[in-house]
Amino acid sequence: MSLKRAISAAAIFSIIVPTGLFMSAAGSTAATSQVTFLSEDVPAGLDYDGPSAAIPASQVGMVNLMEPLVYYKKSGKSPSGVNLLKYGYAPTDFQGRLAESFTKNGLVWTFKLRKNVVGCNGEKFTADDVIYTFARAKSVSGAAPIGYFLSAVGGIKDFATFDGKVPLGDEVKKIDDYTVQITQGAENKLFLPALTIFGLGMFDKEGMEAQKTAKDPWSHDYANTVNLPSFGPYCLSKWTKGSEFVLTANANYYGGKPAVAKIVLRKVPQSANRLAAIRTGAAQLTERLTPKEFASLKGAKGVSVGSVVGNESLFLNMNFKVAPWDNVKLRQAVAYAIDYNKLIKNAYYGQAKKWKSLVPSSYPGYSVPSTQYTYDLAKAKALLKESGYVDNGSLKLTYVAEKESTLGPVVTQIKADLKALGLDIQLDPLPQTQFGDRQLTKRDLPFAVNDQEKPIGVDAGYATYLFFITGGLNNMDNYSNKIVDDTYKAIATEPDTAKRNAGLATIQEQLAKDVAWVPVVEFATQWAYSSKLSGITWHPDNCVRFFDLKI
Amino acid sequence: MQKRKIDPLLLIGLIIIAGSLFLAVFGNSLAPFDPQEPVGDFSMPPSADHWFGTDGSGLDVFSRVLAAPRVDVAIAVTAAIVSAVLGTGIGLYAGYFTGRFSEIVMRISDILQSFPVFILAMVLVTLTGRNVVNLIFVLAFLYTPIFVRLTRSEVLTQRTRTYVEAARATGNSEFQIATRHVLRNSLAPSLVQLSVTVGFGILLTAGLSFVGAGVRPPTPEWGIMIASGAPNIILNEWWTSIFPGIAISVTVFGYAAAGNAIERWARK
Amino acid sequence: MRRYVLRRLAVGVLQALGITIAVFFVIRALPADPVSRIVGMNPTPESIKQARHALGIDMSLFQQLLTFLGFHGDGVFTGSLGKSWVSGATVLSEIAITLPTTIQLIVTSFIVALAIAIPIGMATARRPGGKLDKGVFGYGLFAGAQPEFWWGLIFIFVFYFKMGIAPAPLGMLDPELTAPDAVTNFVLIDSLIAGDFTAFKSALGHLVLPVLTLSFLLVGPLLKMTQQSMSRVLSSEFILYQQASGLEKKSIGRSTLRSALAPIITLTGILFGFMLSGAVLVESVFSLNGLGQYSVAAVLNLDFPAVQGVILVISVISLFVYLGLDLLLAKIDPRILVK
Repeated sequence: MSLKRAISAAAIFSIIVPTGLFMSAAGSTAATSQVTFLSEDVPAGLDYDGPSAAIPASQVGMVNLMEPLVYYKKSGKSPSGVNLLKYGYAPTDFQGRLAESFTKNGLVWTFKLRKNVVGCNGEKFTADDVIYTFARAKSVSGAAPIGYFLSAVGGIKDFATFDGKVPLGDEVKKIDDYTVQITQGAENKLFLPALTIFGLGMFDKEGMEAQKTAKDPWSHDYANTVNLPSFGPYCLSKWTKGSEFVLTANANYYGGKPAVAKIVLRKVPQSANRLAAIRTGAAQLTERLTPKEFASLKGAKGVSVGSVVGNESLFLNMNFKVAPWDNVKLRQAVAYAIDYNKLIKNAYYGQAKKWKSLVPSSYPGYSVPSTQYTYDLAKAKALLKESGYVDNGSLKLTYVAEKESTLGPVVTQIKADLKALGLDIQLDPLPQTQFGDRQLTKRDLPFAVNDQEKPIGVDAGYATYLFFITGGLNNMDNYSNKIVDDTYKAIATEPDTAKRNAGLATIQEQLAKDVAWVPVVEFATQWAYSSKLSGITWHPDNCVRFFDLKI
Repeated sequence: MQKRKIDPLLLIGLIIIAGSLFLAVFGNSLAPFDPQEPVGDFSMPPSADHWFGTDGSGLDVFSRVLAAPRVDVAIAVTAAIVSAVLGTGIGLYAGYFTGRFSEIVMRISDILQSFPVFILAMVLVTLTGRNVVNLIFVLAFLYTPIFVRLTRSEVLTQRTRTYVEAARATGNSEFQIATRHVLRNSLAPSLVQLSVTVGFGILLTAGLSFVGAGVRPPTPEWGIMIASGAPNIILNEWWTSIFPGIAISVTVFGYAAAGNAIERWARK
Repeated sequence: MRRYVLRRLAVGVLQALGITIAVFFVIRALPADPVSRIVGMNPTPESIKQARHALGIDMSLFQQLLTFLGFHGDGVFTGSLGKSWVSGATVLSEIAITLPTTIQLIVTSFIVALAIAIPIGMATARRPGGKLDKGVFGYGLFAGAQPEFWWGLIFIFVFYFKMGIAPAPLGMLDPELTAPDAVTNFVLIDSLIAGDFTAFKSALGHLVLPVLTLSFLLVGPLLKMTQQSMSRVLSSEFILYQQASGLEKKSIGRSTLRSALAPIITLTGILFGFMLSGAVLVESVFSLNGLGQYSVAAVLNLDFPAVQGVILVISVISLFVYLGLDLLLAKIDPRILVK
């Protein structure tokens, strides 16, 4: 082959052909009434008693396919237009969903179920489905017993031992095809709040039982890997793990056919790429961009950013069982050494505010303790001296490695702030699974930054139960204080809201004094979406309900 | 006397290598700002104060680019030398004293080489921990088989040469022949490969750090810098990724050029 | 010939198995405990015990190895690679989704790279010392020294961000297109099977930048090898004889190429094997959800079944690729069968 030929062949091949392909690939028209939603991941599993229950991406699938018995009511908007919910404990604070109405008599709740509820497979909703759901939860047959756990949190009778040996008894009783009675073991304000959570969505008994096997009588495999027979507003039409999750509207949904006919969830792990797609209109909704990326969308044409300070917060936890962090004065020194305003400005681009307690400020029961930690380097240095701790450069600050793009600026500043204090700390990024393992199971992380914990029960008492009572399920730094434990015990079954809140205030005062955690900031939960989209609502699990949307 | 023209590639290569080694030793001290402390406003473009701008955490990019060779180049050079020494030694033995050991060595070497390199590197780093010393061990472990193979095949050719016979005839022990004579004549391929391996080492270190399995932030290292700047390119923040990339590009090219020039000279 | 193939296959299978067992033990030295991810919201001792049982890690190490291989039910010998500890899905299904993307990327890149490297390499070999020769030499040296993930970023910045002519780096298809039904899991093939040309064009378009990045890199060593190999053959005696006999240029060219192909093919095989996991960097930059990204996530998440599965699969594929290339070589140059 001659030289000239070789070069021209290569040239033609490598320049003109790709350009032609570029032109045809860049930009295409979207179908009507469809929303393409880009996220870090698509659902990995759909069984809330399965291995994916704790993964936010999977929860998105669960909450849109399933329907709860009751739910909170919408009320008000955030400054940028995100719809909000109103939280409470009384029956009047809730609206009936699959339950048309509900009444309480002593410890017995009677639910009148809605008629004419039809699921994606044509099945009707009856009391049998409710019984099935609770019986399945009580069987503790999946990889993770979330249904059981939430039933216990709500105080349902006989849900306490977590061993699956005792089948469902009269605590959840069918009265007739459309009436169910649920009995609590003791007064517990968290009953209705627990029923709103994704882990107590109602299954369709017929659909699930059609898929059971001898080894798997509660169809965990099917629910986790194929589909979720239930009564939600959307139906699963296509699921490619790790790539795509497509929902179509359930025309028979009792609340009316959803405004958006088709939802396409796509996995795009890099936030920069999601940003690019929103900017060019290739997608209509995305979440979890970095604060910088959200800030860059201000004034972008055709794109809106909705933001709300909900329940996401950043805190430092220091392990009480690992020296030198058992020294309260050292903990306080660290708390006073951080330049909070600088952090909010630089790492969060102003999309955050200082966290004043250890419970989300939007939750009922929140109160502001008198002990507040503001940036005061002189005070911090004095406390460090009083603590008697002499730094030898061995302290490490651990954080989730995958979150480098959002946590990087945070930990870099904290490192610098602590250096000014006189502590030379090393940064220690750990992959998510190892971080989770050491935080939850082993509980041996000495000093860590955390921005992923949010109490899923909307209640300060629930947050205490989870994080701060001795041996609490998520008590990651082995905090233990008798006042907190005793006060919590007293208010757990307290029916009077005022008394309960007073107890919660006492608890929060103590948490602040002991520096159970260093509360840093509450940061905004945000979404970027096409200006044509409206209806975004903030829910406590931070998942979008597609039924809310209109385009 | 014949005037020998100096190979321009060799010259460029040696200058770059010298520069990288110089920075590996002095880069940290020459840096205008502390490479691990936030010193300016976040994400500022190149300016008179910060020649290469600042990154998303407020760190000065120019200082980090200068300080990075201390990690990148040091890891790669050390690992290359270690693997060269080990590999040449093992290869010499396996090539000269053929037998079962030689076979076993070759099989192990084969298996290691057919492993997906990147995954193996990641597994080993995760196993041993993400710090500089472990990275050196991992890289040395990965690159030794190359030297084993190269040396062994060269030794296999050399041992049939007449000078070996001659050495034997004059009463040298096998060990002496192997180490004093054959080794010296078999070093050429290894020397060439050494330079190239340093280049690979820098790329692998940067690649591992890019996916999050290399050194830990905020250690200044070119791969980590590219990784942290990558998401922001789309926000027109090009300086955090471009400069470290140019640095890697130039440095690895220097090592490759030098290695190539040595190879051509050795071939003559 | 057949004995050669059978022997190679047997050795290869043993090798792949050996690697997998070795990996099995090596990675279990890693400090993993996948339990916490599962029990997330509720780490009671009971749920931890249940999770460990569900994952199969409450058995002894040897028992776990036997289970993995398939002696206690589904395992390697029965075609199952276990379930991922992260997602609960079977590793085989996850690999079946991610592997085709990587293969499409690598195969296309190799085709492009060879299409450029061989003609140019041939041309320069016939004019040694010329300007093109020097240029090619310089390029080969340069390209082999590049961090390809960085070049990928530059291409995105220039072609997508600044010039706006490339599609967004969002994976294989435009977000608003639905993927064609998965028959082979190769998007390019599936879209053709479904007759969906929009998807086909979209997928090809999305492949352009990643392929450009990879071939940019691959052309370097391939070009160099072609040039070396060609010049060696060109100066060999039988070519001189052909030239002296006055054969026309085209047929001399063809026979030169035939003899020079061997080392090029060998190099292609080596690079292919390397790229199966090495493509992860390009896959990350372009969000391509391929095997490389999957394996990185698996290692970082200490997802043992996934890591084992990936290594086994890659080893087996490399095996077949090498064998295939060796067969090709044997056809072109029967001498190697004798060695």
